[in-house]
Amino acid sequence: MLKRAIAAITCWLFFTGNAMADESDRILEITGLITDGSVTLDLRAVHDLPITTIETSTVVTDGIHSFTGFLMRDLLEEVQSTGETVTAIALNYYAVDIPITDFYDYDVVVAYEMDGETLTRDGKGPLWIVYPRDDYQALQDIRFDYRWVWQLYQIDIK
Amino acid sequence: MSRFAGSSLRLALPLAAVLVFAVLLAFSLQRMFEVERGMRVEAEQNMLWVFHQSEVTVLRLIETVALAELGQTDPDELALRFDLLASRVALLNDGPQRRFLEHVGLDGDLDALVASLVRLAPSIETFTPAQGARLRQELTPLARFFGRAANTAMIAEWDELGGRLETYRDQLGQIILSLIGIMIAGGVLTITLFVSRHQSRQKNRMLRRERDFSGLLISSSGEGIIAIDSAGKCTLWNGAVSAILGVPAEQALGRAPASVAGFFDMSTIRQALSEALEGQTSILSFQPFFSPDSERPLYLDVSFFPMRNEAEIIGAIVFMHDASDKYAAQQKDAQDRDRLEELVAERTQELNNALKRERSAADLYRNFAAMVSHQFRTPLAVADSALQRLIRRGPHADIDEVAERAGRARNAISGLTRLVDSTLDAARLDAGQIGARRVQCDLADTIQTVCTSQCEGTQQRPIEITQETSGRHIAFCDPTHVEQVLANLLSNAVKYADPGTPVSVRLHSDTESLFCDVHNIAAPIPRHEQDQIFERNHRGANSIGVEGTGIGLFMARTLARMQDGEVSLLPYTDGVTFRMTLPRYTAGAS
Repeated sequence: MLKRAIAAITCWLFFTGNAMADESDRILEITGLITDGSVTLDLRAVHDLPITTIETSTVVTDGIHSFTGFLMRDLLEEVQSTGETVTAIALNYYAVDIPITDFYDYDVVVAYEMDGETLTRDGKGPLWIVYPRDDYQALQDIRFDYRWVWQLYQIDIK
Repeated sequence: MSRFAGSSLRLALPLAAVLVFAVLLAFSLQRMFEVERGMRVEAEQNMLWVFHQSEVTVLRLIETVALAELGQTDPDELALRFDLLASRVALLNDGPQRRFLEHVGLDGDLDALVASLVRLAPSIETFTPAQGARLRQELTPLARFFGRAANTAMIAEWDELGGRLETYRDQLGQIILSLIGIMIAGGVLTITLFVSRHQSRQKNRMLRRERDFSGLLISSSGEGIIAIDSAGKCTLWNGAVSAILGVPAEQALGRAPASVAGFFDMSTIRQALSEALEGQTSILSFQPFFSPDSERPLYLDVSFFPMRNEAEIIGAIVFMHDASDKYAAQQKDAQDRDRLEELVAERTQELNNALKRERSAADLYRNFAAMVSHQFRTPLAVADSALQRLIRRGPHADIDEVAERAGRARNAISGLTRLVDSTLDAARLDAGQIGARRVQCDLADTIQTVCTSQCEGTQQRPIEITQETSGRHIAFCDPTHVEQVLANLLSNAVKYADPGTPVSVRLHSDTESLFCDVHNIAAPIPRHEQDQIFERNHRGANSIGVEGTGIGLFMARTLARMQDGEVSLLPYTDGVTFRMTLPRYTAGAS
C-alpha cells in the first residue's frame, strides 16, 4: 500500500517536473512534519488511496448522506507524518487545528464524493473532512462540528 | 385512642416528607433534563459567522475584480473567488440555513441573490477589465445583503439566546426551589429519623432493662424454672433447676427435657408436659427424683403451665422445687397418726375391758344380794332347823339322832361355805388376783381325788370313772384350778342328773391334749341356752330350786382357759356331756 502511494507520488513528481500545465489538478498540499517536507497531491493520487464510504448526517444539510473518500489516518501514514496536530486550511483561509488522535479514535474521512456526486469548488469540494457523526454521541458537539472543514486544500502537520 | 392518633400523626409526617421529597426530586429531574436537552448548541445558531464569512467572500471577490481590472491577478483567482461565493450561497440555500432565512424573512432576498449569481457567472468566465466597474456595482448589494443578514442573524440569535437563557433561569429557579423543598423534606426526615432513633434507643434501653430484670428474677429465683417451646425443646433452664437436677443450662438448652434428665421421662411427668403443651395446667406433688449423687431420692413439687401468646400456645413453663423436707414431715405426721390411732385403740380396748369389768362387778354386787337371800338362806334354814330340833329334843335325843341332825347341819354349813368360796373366787377372778401356776400333773390321780371327795358328799350317786387310753395322762396345768373345774362339773352333773342314774367320767387323749368328759343322764340343755350357760350368774331353766350361784361354769371355763385349756358342752350326746380339755405336758413346756 505504502509502496503504491509512493509510486503515485513519484509519478506525480515526474509529471510536475515535466508539465507545469497540470497545476490546476493539485487539490491538496501537505506540509509540516512529514518525510518529504512538502507533498502536493492531485486528483489521481487522491483516488489511489484506499477508498472508504461512510453515511452520516451533517449540521449544514438535511438528511443522511453517503460520503466517499479516504481515511485521514491512511494519508498521514502514507506521508509518514510525525506530528500531533493537523492544521486544516480551506480555500477561504478558514483554518482549524485538529489533534491527530481524532483520526485514530474515529474513521475520519476526507471525502471527494457525496451521494455518488463529485464535490465541486462551488459546493463543499473538492475535499471535505467528514466525521462519522451519527455513530458517536461524542461527535454530536459543536467542538467537533467546526472541524468539518470543506473546500480543504492544505494540511499543515505540527 | 389519642395514643393511636398520636402514632399515626408521627407516621404521617415522615410519609408526607418522603412524598414531597419524591415529587420535588422528580420535578427537578424533569426540569434538569429539559435544560440538558436545551443546551445542545445547533450549528444553525452560528448564522452570524456564516453571514460574516459570506460578506468577506463577496468583499474579496470585489477586491479580486478590482485587481483584475488593474491586471494584477489572473482569471483563475477570479474564478476561485467566484466559486467560493457560489459555495457560500449554496450553503445558505441548503436545509437549516435556508430555514433560518425563511424564519427571519430573508428567503426572498436569497432567491434574488441566487438569480443574480446565475446572471453574473458568464461575466466571470469571460471577464474583461471593461466589465469590472459594472461587476463590482452588481456585487455591492450582495455585500450589503450579507451585512444586513448578519445584523438580523445577530439580533435573532441574541433574542433566541436571551429567551433560552431566560428559560434556563426559570427552570434553574424552579430546580433551586425544588432543591430547597427537598432540603426541607430531607431535614424533616432527618429530624424524624433522629427522634425515632432516640425513641427506639430509649425503648431498647427499657426493654433491655426489663429483660435484664426478668433474667435476674429467673436466675435468682429459688424455684426451678424451665421454659419449653412448642417443639418440646428447652429454651430456659435456670440455676435452681441446675442445682436440683445437677444438669447445667448449657447441656439442657435446645434439647428435649426427657433427653436431659430421666426425671422428665417418667410417664406422669411426660404426660403433664404434653398436656401443658395442649393448654392444660397440672400440679404434681412429691415426684421422686433419684439423684446419682445421693442415696435418698428428692421429692419435688412440679407445676406445669401452658405459655400462651394471645390464643396460640407457644410452649410450656415448668416450676419445680425441692419438697423433700415437706415430704418427710408429712410421712412423720402419718406415722405419728398411725401410732396414735393404735394407742387410742389400745386404750379404748383397755377402757372397754375395764368398763366391762366394772359392769360385771356392778352386776355381781347387784345379784349378790338376791343370790345371798336365795342361796344362802336355804342352808342356813336347814342348819337352823336341825339345830332347833336338837335343842327341842334335848336329853331325849339319842346319840344317833344327834349325830344325824348335827351332820345335816354341817352339810348345810359346808354347802354355805362352798357358796361363799365360789363367790369369793369370782370376785378374785374379777380383780385379776387369780393366776395359774402350771406344773406337770397326773390327770387320772386328780380325777380320782375329786370323784372320791364328791362321793363323800353324795353317797347316793355313784360315779363311774373310765380311762380309755393306757399310760399316764400328764397334763401341764395348775392342779388346784383343775380340781376346782372338775369339782364344779361333777357337782353340776350330780345336781342335774335324773334320779337313780349314774354319772360317768371318761379320760382320753390325743397327741397334744387330754380330754375329761363328765356325763350324766338328764334333759338336754335347750339350744338357746347352750351359749348362755357359760356366762356369769346365768342360771338355767332347770336350776330352779337347786342350790347354786350361776358362777360355776363361768369359773370352770375361765380357769381352764387360763391354762390354755377349755371347758365346752359336747353336742349331740345322749344326756349332757361337758368336756374339760387340757394341754398334754411336753418336755419343752415350762
